[in-house]
Amino acid sequence: MNKPAQDAVRDWLDAAATAMGGGAERRRDALLELETTIYDRVDERTRGGQVPEEAVRDVLEILGDPAQVGSSFAPVRPLIAPHQTRGFILHTVMVFAVHFLLVIGATVADRGLAVGPLRIHPIADPTNFLSLLARAAGTLVFHAGAVMSVYALLPRLSRIVRFPRSALAARTDPRPSVESAIFFGLLLVALNVFRDDLFALYVDTGHGVSQLPFAGHGIVDNLLLLNLWLGVALGKELLVARLGERRWTLAADLLTQGLGVFALLRIAATERMVELAGAEEVLKGADSIGALLNSVFVVLAMVGAAMLAARGVRLAFRLYLLRS
Amino acid sequence: MSSLIDKMGAELRRGLVQIAALSLLRERLYGYQLVKILAACGLETEEGTLYPLLRRLESQGLLQSEWDTGGSRPRKYYVLSDEGRDVLPQLEGLWHEISSAVVTILDKGAPAGLLEASTE
Repeated sequence: MNKPAQDAVRDWLDAAATAMGGGAERRRDALLELETTIYDRVDERTRGGQVPEEAVRDVLEILGDPAQVGSSFAPVRPLIAPHQTRGFILHTVMVFAVHFLLVIGATVADRGLAVGPLRIHPIADPTNFLSLLARAAGTLVFHAGAVMSVYALLPRLSRIVRFPRSALAARTDPRPSVESAIFFGLLLVALNVFRDDLFALYVDTGHGVSQLPFAGHGIVDNLLLLNLWLGVALGKELLVARLGERRWTLAADLLTQGLGVFALLRIAATERMVELAGAEEVLKGADSIGALLNSVFVVLAMVGAAMLAARGVRLAFRLYLLRS
Repeated sequence: MSSLIDKMGAELRRGLVQIAALSLLRERLYGYQLVKILAACGLETEEGTLYPLLRRLESQGLLQSEWDTGGSRPRKYYVLSDEGRDVLPQLEGLWHEISSAVVTILDKGAPAGLLEASTE
């Protein structure tokens, strides 16, 4: 077969490859199979007396649009896995409910509320049904988007990074969990060793940039709470490894979820939680970026709290069932 | 209208190709061989439909595959796995049930008496 015919096949396969998605090995496998088929079909035609270029053209026409063929090999990955749909709805509703209750609270008090960098404004005209509906719809869409981003992101991230089992996991089958305990212990140590880098606050004193000492920040209380949470999680894992008994496992999990909810909600409610190094005090005009990052952090904390709370409710129910 | 029929026909065929392919893959066959056999039997199927289907059946554990690089060009051969051999008779039984039900409905319509009962 001459070069133009081979080039035509190569171009077709390249176009199919770009639409395939998935891993490189999977793509290579599919492309090789398609290539073999193309040449099998071309061989049949050339044996029948057709010129190779014509045969290639005909075969590629029969196979159809390479992008369409390629996309049919693409693994189907819905944004939210079907088994997580219920969790997604539950968490969206929970976060929405908390936010909307704050809106109602602000409206009743007739003044704005500040939850972290989030400013909750009262509804301008609460007697106007459309105004109320528009605010509710806007809030719902915002939170559905935020929760979806968490749900869509985590599975993709977990394919890249193998997460150790976390305190979020509801343990129904008590097994030795020394690995998890080690993980929480390391996290606890890392959080304290790197706290200055993680939660640094910089100011421009006029004579250069200087870092404020860690003590005296509003963050300290939250960090202590995080420490406490990680400490309890560590203790829980050790307890589970030692006891391996279902009722205690669920009770310990429940305690961790409760403390986690408290920690995350407190973080979400604390004004100016994280001052990222190099934020607004140093860079003029970075105010909005800092505020945006804070908003993202707060929303994630709220979502995390909602997820922990949902787990907690489930655990409490299981514990109740076990007791009864 | 004809495009609607084409679309419905393609959907119908897609479901049937699955069981037909499984049945044919009692023997070890490569993809294009399967395409030709299916076409000769009247179940014309595009490679873009069949090959992803074969991969899905393989990931479900019903088929196993291997590349044979000994010939003039490399070929990917498929054959039923042990699990596939267990599942196939059950699928065939299901198919006979479904096809005879559909044939009955197409030929004779609803069983006498049921139509009146369901509209009451």
